[in-house]
Amino acid sequence: MAGTQYIIVGVGGQGILFTSRVIARAAIDKGLPIIGSEVHGMAQRGGSVISHFKIGDFSSPLISEGHADVVMAFDQKEGIRNLPFLHEGGTFLVNVDDPSMLENVHLKRYIADRRIRVCGFRGFDILDEHAKGAYLFLNVLILGAAAGMKIEGCEEAPLTAALETLSPPKFLSENLKVFGLGLNAA
Amino acid sequence: MSKDGSDNTEVPFYGKTPLLGNEAIAQAIVAAGCQVATAYPGTPSSEILPFVASTADRLGAAMAIEWGANEKVAFEMAVGASFAGARACVVMKQVGLNVAADSFMTAAYYRLKGGLMLVSADDPGPHSSQNEQDSRMFAMFAKVPCLDPSDAVEAGEMVYDAFALSEKHEIIVMLRPTTRVSHCRQAIEPVSSVKPGLPVKFERDVSRWVALPVTVKKNHPLHNLRIEEIREEFETSRYNYEVKGGGEAKLGVICSGVSFATLKDITRGRTDVDILRIGTPYPLPHKLVNSFIDRHEKVLVLEETYPVIETQLMNRERVSGRWDGVVPSAGELLPEVIEGIVLPLLHERPSAADSSELDAAMKELGIEPRKPQLCAGCPHRASYFAIRKAFPNGIAPSDIGCYSLAVNQNGIDSSLCMGASVTMSSGFHIAHAVSGQERPIIATLGDSTFFHMGIPGLVSAVYNRHSFVLCVLDNRVTAMTGGQSNPGLSGKVRKGDEGSAVSIEAVARGCGVKFVEAVDAYDVAAGADAVTRAWESAKANRTPAVVIFRHPCMLLRVPQSVVPVKVDAERCVGCRLCITNFGCPGLTFDAAKKKAEVDRRGCVSCGVCRVVCPRGAIVEAA
Ligand SMILES: Cc1ncc(C[n+]2csc(CCOP(=O)(O)OP(=O)(O)O)c2C)c(N)n1
Repeated sequence: MAGTQYIIVGVGGQGILFTSRVIARAAIDKGLPIIGSEVHGMAQRGGSVISHFKIGDFSSPLISEGHADVVMAFDQKEGIRNLPFLHEGGTFLVNVDDPSMLENVHLKRYIADRRIRVCGFRGFDILDEHAKGAYLFLNVLILGAAAGMKIEGCEEAPLTAALETLSPPKFLSENLKVFGLGLNAA
Repeated sequence: MSKDGSDNTEVPFYGKTPLLGNEAIAQAIVAAGCQVATAYPGTPSSEILPFVASTADRLGAAMAIEWGANEKVAFEMAVGASFAGARACVVMKQVGLNVAADSFMTAAYYRLKGGLMLVSADDPGPHSSQNEQDSRMFAMFAKVPCLDPSDAVEAGEMVYDAFALSEKHEIIVMLRPTTRVSHCRQAIEPVSSVKPGLPVKFERDVSRWVALPVTVKKNHPLHNLRIEEIREEFETSRYNYEVKGGGEAKLGVICSGVSFATLKDITRGRTDVDILRIGTPYPLPHKLVNSFIDRHEKVLVLEETYPVIETQLMNRERVSGRWDGVVPSAGELLPEVIEGIVLPLLHERPSAADSSELDAAMKELGIEPRKPQLCAGCPHRASYFAIRKAFPNGIAPSDIGCYSLAVNQNGIDSSLCMGASVTMSSGFHIAHAVSGQERPIIATLGDSTFFHMGIPGLVSAVYNRHSFVLCVLDNRVTAMTGGQSNPGLSGKVRKGDEGSAVSIEAVARGCGVKFVEAVDAYDVAAGADAVTRAWESAKANRTPAVVIFRHPCMLLRVPQSVVPVKVDAERCVGCRLCITNFGCPGLTFDAAKKKAEVDRRGCVSCGVCRVVCPRGAIVEAA
């Protein structure tokens, strides 16, 4: 099927929705159709949050297990929990908090069996070091990382343009800076 | 996110814009020339009214846009506006329609003047609700036509048709999105013009506007007639159509809502499945449906969440669905679920990848879904700590709001629906009293819920002389649904509108409550003391007492004093009381060291937790 399907996961309050909005804007600017499903409401109170997001010729906002091209995880535990969404050979972009978790033998076997490409980056450390620990910028950092790791649908130029249109003016320069940090985290 | 729950108010409008289904509905409401829009917030409907307001501002539309104190209030505001001649709409979530049901069931019979659209958003899953009821069933019950969109684009389009249908037949029309439609994001052209409104001029006509048995005897049969006319029109509605597989069909599926979209993605490339998409589930176009059934050996009905189309089928001999257990009768019809239903009917097996290694990993790593929880610094957490401190064994009836999440703190014993904390306290009280017992009853509800449905229960409790303490957790906002205003605040939804704030204290006193005190929710000692005295007073005087715990919600980001804290490892004995009784995301427990710790990623330095540790191990960090 022509198109790219993303599952974006994290914990309520991490600003996940902004990430899919930027990718959506970039896709629309390229003239591509988009459809996605977001979580608003109760789950945003610190619970597990999942966004389904699809670029291309789709009718449903939902992605079936085994059909996502990319799982983007703001939180590594939420990412691991949602790996069944990936098809074989899919990409797991993950904000790594505790690297030892990714060393779990069962997890390593699952990832190898399903030929999952793991793209990890140390989001919290990067933000601690360069953005005074402002974790709210994780949503932009992950976009930068996605572009840096050449993830489908996440090319640097269109994402930057989308970020420029969607950022509230007072956050624009910080957003662009953090996006750059993400690019280099790859 | 803006204060009123719409996160899209700063979106630059050029070309197609990624809009939520709710935003598509909202902008169409404005463009269709709606003059009065009312609502009470509730997920998944909450973003609609704020986006109606921002779109009306953007286009300079002459509209009244207001939150009602509850859904019945909002509904009747819209009905009144329609009687006066205005085009009106009212928006709520599915359980809100229960509150408005009294008006809805009767307003259905009227020959309205201005068009009237009801948006009732359902929540299969559920994701943010206390049940999975299907508003379409309510439409059928009230005999009101219902439109059931499959995605955001269509939800917007249906708004225009809902008003047109309503005005043609002078009848209420229901638009029923589900969570996946309301919170579906698609590229949509922003509206740029506003249709003219209708002339507003109320004309007296007792036979039309007054519901007396004589008028009902006349109007109910007429109402039935127009429903049959609408059924006939739905036979050729553009929202009802077939999607043919192209080959020899082994299965015909009748479906509606997001199930249609999901099925289309699942069956893409197949030729052996025909689909009849129904966008008008009530009244069901029988000829269209019967002809589809007649042409298929085997038919399946997929709809969320109750069997509304299915129930209306005249002959279910060849039809599978909920009646024969093929479709689950609870929960969302997720893609996996639909695959699991459809493929076996085609004699195929759904492919499931082996996840045993992943399951083992998650078990070893202790990975589980994260439950929603009260935010760090949430004033409710402090309030519950104070209440439990005063009455460790009290009965704690609670209500619907963020504070329902205090289950994590063992803070609440019951919740049912909005306002039930007050009335069920009365029930707890009389059940104990009648059997000669007495137990402290400390009820909790939020400011929005107090105004929504707390007041009649309080009046009744004063009148009947029931002893309990009602704690109003006044966080100065309707938080759970995304931060809307309520009658306790002067803010309104449309820019430039100024409301007049209603005082909770004055309302409580006006209801006849003598003991009314307010404390800062962060002041745990004062809260515990007030609740203790309130119960003494309630018991002695056989009447409810009210304590207001006031402190702004953390999501409002009102500046407050910053008190950085740390755990003094010397004093911490690892009892975990701070974790189980307080449960703040800013406090974690290091299992290896057997000590509590402040997690700097979660902590917002509110300083409340300093009173939590019996050993005084949580202290201000220098
Ligand atoms: C009848 C009904 N309408 C709307 C809702 C949606 N809803 C859930 S909680 C809530 C209000 C909560 O506001 P408040 O009582 O002020 O508590 P807070 O969340 O601010 O703590 C609403 C409107 C509902 N559950 N039931």
